[in-house]
Amino acid sequence: MAHITINQYLQQVYEAIDNHEGSFCAELLSFKHPHVANPRLQLASPEEKCQQVLEVPYDEMVAAHLRCTYAVSNHDFVEAYKCQTLVVQYPFVMFAVTLDLRIFANNAEQQLLRKGKGKLGDMLEKAAEQLMGCFRVCASDNRAGIDDSKKWGMLFLINQLFKIYFKINKLHLCKPLIRAIDSSNLKDDYSMAQRVTYKYYVGRKAMFDSDYKPAEEYLSFSFQHCHRSSQRNKRMILIYLLPVKMLLGHMPNHQLLRKYDLMQFADVTKAVSEGNLLLLNEALAKHETFFIRCGIFLILEKLKIITYRNLFKKVYQLLKTHQLPLDAFLVALKMMQVEEVDIDEVQCILANLICEGHIKGYISHQHQKLVVSKANPFPLLSSSS
Amino acid sequence: MNNKIASRRVSHSRRRGQPVERDWRQHHNQGVWREVQEERRQESIPRGVCLSMCPIRELQDREAQNLLHRFEVLSGTERERWPRADPSGVVKEYARPAAGKDSTRPSDLRPPAVLLKTVFYLVDNIAASPTLRPWTEVYDFVFDRLRSVRQDMIIQRVSGADCVAVLERTVRFLIYASYRLCGEPLRLYDPRINDTHLQESLSWLLECYTSGKHPNQEEFQALGLLYNLGSSRATQHTMELPERIRSSPVMHLALSVSRAFMERNPVRLLRLAHSLDFLQSCALHRHLVTCRRDLLLIYSHGHSSKNCRFPLHKLSHILALDVPLTNQLCQAHGVEVHGDSVVFSKTTFTEPEAGKLQCAHFHDLVDRKQRDLTVGSIIHGCT
Repeated sequence: MAHITINQYLQQVYEAIDNHEGSFCAELLSFKHPHVANPRLQLASPEEKCQQVLEVPYDEMVAAHLRCTYAVSNHDFVEAYKCQTLVVQYPFVMFAVTLDLRIFANNAEQQLLRKGKGKLGDMLEKAAEQLMGCFRVCASDNRAGIDDSKKWGMLFLINQLFKIYFKINKLHLCKPLIRAIDSSNLKDDYSMAQRVTYKYYVGRKAMFDSDYKPAEEYLSFSFQHCHRSSQRNKRMILIYLLPVKMLLGHMPNHQLLRKYDLMQFADVTKAVSEGNLLLLNEALAKHETFFIRCGIFLILEKLKIITYRNLFKKVYQLLKTHQLPLDAFLVALKMMQVEEVDIDEVQCILANLICEGHIKGYISHQHQKLVVSKANPFPLLSSSS
Repeated sequence: MNNKIASRRVSHSRRRGQPVERDWRQHHNQGVWREVQEERRQESIPRGVCLSMCPIRELQDREAQNLLHRFEVLSGTERERWPRADPSGVVKEYARPAAGKDSTRPSDLRPPAVLLKTVFYLVDNIAASPTLRPWTEVYDFVFDRLRSVRQDMIIQRVSGADCVAVLERTVRFLIYASYRLCGEPLRLYDPRINDTHLQESLSWLLECYTSGKHPNQEEFQALGLLYNLGSSRATQHTMELPERIRSSPVMHLALSVSRAFMERNPVRLLRLAHSLDFLQSCALHRHLVTCRRDLLLIYSHGHSSKNCRFPLHKLSHILALDVPLTNQLCQAHGVEVHGDSVVFSKTTFTEPEAGKLQCAHFHDLVDRKQRDLTVGSIIHGCT
């Protein structure tokens, strides 16, 4: 592949098309294939050669692909991206080509940013628009039989689109895609790898929308079915699964954290289960950059409520009475060095815990006491979330 | 195989004879290359040369067609059949871009220095005027003319300090207006339109802040966070700001308010709100409705007991409202008040009927902060 002439290459493409060898043809247009390193194919103006061997519209497509290899060899990713957008218009070699499109869009963005031009997200947004075009073609493919149907391309495209939307922070654009898959009768028949990716993104979206129970389901599925050898992917899923599970009251054990190199969660876990607000604040501050970069800092802050609940449960266990003076809670909070908290706020926090179902009881303002139920005043977290 | 290639060659030349398809594809490809050439033609960005607040042509046209605004008319000529234009008061109005209309004529565009001068005029002579009334009309005029200023900026691709100076005043004006006109009838003021333009201007402003140094950045990041309280997008954006900006006192306070909101601690939120300045309170004020409702809901559940009484004056203190207003708020939410005590019950709490609760009635907390501040100083930011 690295030594063939342009004519030999074009001949191979022509035969692949003629014999309906879609996957081979796709390889000949993919950047993962060695032919792209062949300098004889890296041409700035291959149009005439292509026209000589191939029919319309393949001549254009392949010409664009060859111009692309030329651009990539010159490290001009902006140019490469532009060429690739032309190639992408022909849906039957979609997979490889759209993947390359997204990767080039990414690289083109990096290049433009380095040169100080272009707004972050512009290139990726345009790539997304192209992909949506392909998506519509697939989704509306009602003609072909189920084996040939372009609908098989849908999940792959959707996953590509998800990646872009998450990167440019336009998550609301995911909704119509999710609806399309939900209403499709093929949804359980796609390859496991694609389904794992899909559920990963849908799970993250659910997290963002504060739907923690569905988020846990999706992310758990993704984690369990992710291939054993993809350590990196499993770790990525865990980064989002852990906070959700913690919010539902399930703390991870150290073994798991060590196995996937996620010790940043260790202090957070310890703080939450002990009701140690001070340690929680310290842990969040210490690994702030990591948590913010992953987009989970805000969710971890929600663990404060769980931490309050655990702290107050300890107060209850210490005092061994069902009529707890509000002052005791205030003292507990002050010991945790919570800033500027007074008795009114204590009441509010307790009232919130009661409202959320984490405490069974009521507050008597006149007696300045929290009166808890004699039976199970601190229900299990998983049952009240 | 050779035959196949031969026949292909023949069919190609036949195809070449059909110009339409070929041309279409060439045109389409050129569309992609157009962007490359666009960037290379930096010199073709329009540069305005109009040195007055309104292009002469437009002034003459509107005067001739009797389309001048009340504020643009030469005093003394208002009652005439054809009121005369006051050259020091006519301001270019916003016009929707239309086909066949060239909005890039340099004589119609105002350069950045003139745009800033225009904004100052709109703020000092119109928005802050102690005599022009009613303020809904003042708002309409300033809103429209500011929109035209932004349009000129977009066409000329204005950026940097000039752009920031205009946008900062625009954002302050729109935030102030969102508070002052809250509660006005829909035909006079539409809060959704104000919100749309406020969000657009704010996004643009925050975008400008990503390059260069801007002394007011913390102020506006905080305003953005308070105005968009509860929005995951806005909060995540703030979290990604550099440490030195996030740790400034004004951001620290805004983040504390945001945290209190996210943790559903309305007592803390309302207490922190006391420390906000007037404009920040304007930005926050529409969320106070939710905040107070949350407090009544939480307390209805947390203090739910037939025998318990909660002092009304205490509740009004926490809600930052006077007693009669607290009473009104309780009634709207189904919270029972007996004399000077409140009886909370989780079964009686209800959401208020749509339209029953007027945010404007509960503006006390914000009103008090205005004190001697003039509208001009609020919008220019010299408080």
